[in-house]
Amino acid sequence: MHLHNEVGEQLLRDTFNKFIGKIMQLPPVRSHVKRQYRQREIYYSEILEIEGKDVLFKVGVESGTYIRKLIHDIGQDLGVGAHMTELRRTKVSTLSEKDSMVTLQDLDDAVYLYRNDGDKRLLEKCLGNIESAIDFLPKIFVSDGAVDPVCHGSPLAIPGVVKLTEFQKDETAAIMSLKGELIALGKTVLSSDEIKSFKKGVAVKTDSVIMNTGTYPTYKKIN
Amino acid sequence: MKLPLEGLKQEVFSIRSEETDTKYGRFPKERSIEERMNYGFILLDKPAGIRSKTAAHIAKKVMDSFAVKKIGYSGTLED
Repeated sequence: MHLHNEVGEQLLRDTFNKFIGKIMQLPPVRSHVKRQYRQREIYYSEILEIEGKDVLFKVGVESGTYIRKLIHDIGQDLGVGAHMTELRRTKVSTLSEKDSMVTLQDLDDAVYLYRNDGDKRLLEKCLGNIESAIDFLPKIFVSDGAVDPVCHGSPLAIPGVVKLTEFQKDETAAIMSLKGELIALGKTVLSSDEIKSFKKGVAVKTDSVIMNTGTYPTYKKIN
Repeated sequence: MKLPLEGLKQEVFSIRSEETDTKYGRFPKERSIEERMNYGFILLDKPAGIRSKTAAHIAKKVMDSFAVKKIGYSGTLED
């Protein structure tokens, strides 16, 4: 954040603390959403460095919070004005920059080492499993026989469900195989408690299929 | 200082116990690099100044020798 005029450190810190919790924010002129005030939650914010008019800070916010706007609003509140100079995402959902984050150069090196020296250690580090991207979603584990129909886009019925985590109705959930492979993403039709008590019916509507068809055999072949 | 989803642990409830046949599919831990090329995930540190789409495109070009079919991205900052 770059302030447009000098501000006392104490005032700055107090103002930052004002912008924690629920705040109202108007999306910027150039935005993809309707321009009306909306509530967003700031989970935490911490000043890391102050150097003259430049302030480096860390902030944890709800999705859909405009940081450029947040800085502008803090500047207005201080009475001097401020704008954003740089922004970096350090965490999102279950992922963090402390995990094995790779640069494009790392990736290029890893591919080179694997192709030319057959050394796969670096590439193995760079390329994670697809499941780590959906750690935050509720999951439904299905029997082997139910995998192929889901791969073809069929909705998941309750008899196919073996294990499940907790979720509500109309949530996005991941349909997984018993081996823990991601099969598809879908919208839940029933809550997890309802699925536990019902014997029949559709549990999840399949939205997007990730697994290739033919990975698991058709239902007839298994039985 | 934690985000709501950070360090999330979900409890799994079993309706019934059932075994899985190792003839089909593969445990995520045992997947080969070639398999992960079309069923994988990269946590990319995108340099400032290029678009996310460009970064995804470059990543695909880098891995072209592995016959990567599709690449996409998620996690847009600022708009």
